Amino acid sequence: MMKQKWLYFGVLTALFLLVLFSLGSGLWGSEQTGRHWTEKLFYGVCHQMPDRSFTFNSLPMAVNSRCFGIFFGLFAGWLTIPLSYKLTFKKTWPVKLLLFAVILQIIDFSGNYLQLWVNTNLSRALLGFLLGAGASLSIGDLFYNNNSKK
Amino acid sequence: METEEINENPPPAFSNYLPSVAIVGAIFGVVSFVLGLFFGYQQINAEPTGSIFSPLMLSGVVVCLITCFGGAVAVWHYTKEVSSSLTLGQGSLIGFMTGAVIVLATVVFNEIWMLIDPDYTEKLIEATVANVEAMDLPQNAKDDMVDSMVEGVRSSQSVLQQIFWGIPVTGLLNLITGMIGTKLFANKEEGSF
Repeated sequence: MMKQKWLYFGVLTALFLLVLFSLGSGLWGSEQTGRHWTEKLFYGVCHQMPDRSFTFNSLPMAVNSRCFGIFFGLFAGWLTIPLSYKLTFKKTWPVKLLLFAVILQIIDFSGNYLQLWVNTNLSRALLGFLLGAGASLSIGDLFYNNNSKK
Repeated sequence: METEEINENPPPAFSNYLPSVAIVGAIFGVVSFVLGLFFGYQQINAEPTGSIFSPLMLSGVVVCLITCFGGAVAVWHYTKEVSSSLTLGQGSLIGFMTGAVIVLATVVFNEIWMLIDPDYTEKLIEATVANVEAMDLPQNAKDDMVDSMVEGVRSSQSVLQQIFWGIPVTGLLNLITGMIGTKLFANKEEGSF
């Protein structure tokens, strides 16, 4: 049985809003002067370069493709916590998946930086998704009691 | 005869979290500020190469990655210094508050630096624009990038904007790493919070 449901649903709502806001002015309207409020929201955590971002309704999102992948992965992973706890409860693979995703991010960024390969918006988003989903799944079993499943 | 229920494990007072939150938040705030400044002056003093991997971009990636781990480190500090028992809710609260302190500390240090080097922002904008202009991109893409970066640097001048827009996202990301910290470092309690 799930515990701390208010915390689960609170974070779920926050992550849903995070994904919606990250879609940027393509969803929330761009008829304003100066910087869009969604870009201000993510300025501290993302470089927001338009050519490294997906577009939504023909406008660049408020975050780059990697950050969007991370946010969407966090939300998708969080959404599946009630369904996946039988697979994750007292298992170590979610933490291993998270570590693997972190290492992949470092390798991908370094390889691109050192010009060993060129990553794309899609590859950055997919690796970001893996990191976000891994983070959510790694804490999912904390929402279940020790006697939920042995 | 009156019976009295005694809770043997009362939840820790809110003030118990504050030392870990304040210490780790302040340290990560300083690290974030110093790294931002380091990469900022690298950008200012570098020749415009037209590389997409400018010091300013590296600054964004590195600072973001580091500040997101503040929540987990604060939970680790709490489990070492105060109590090894922690619920998921307490871990997430510590994480969120640490994120908020990181933002506040960074804003304060940035404002102090503006007194020491008032031209820093303008010099950074000039260097950023020069680097983008040297990129091998269509003019409209360059214009978009310049607008985005310049607005970004300028918006960081407003204290209230930095705090108002900075705390929700940094707080949420640190809340999640605070939960990861709870999983890794704490003896989980079965409490309701």
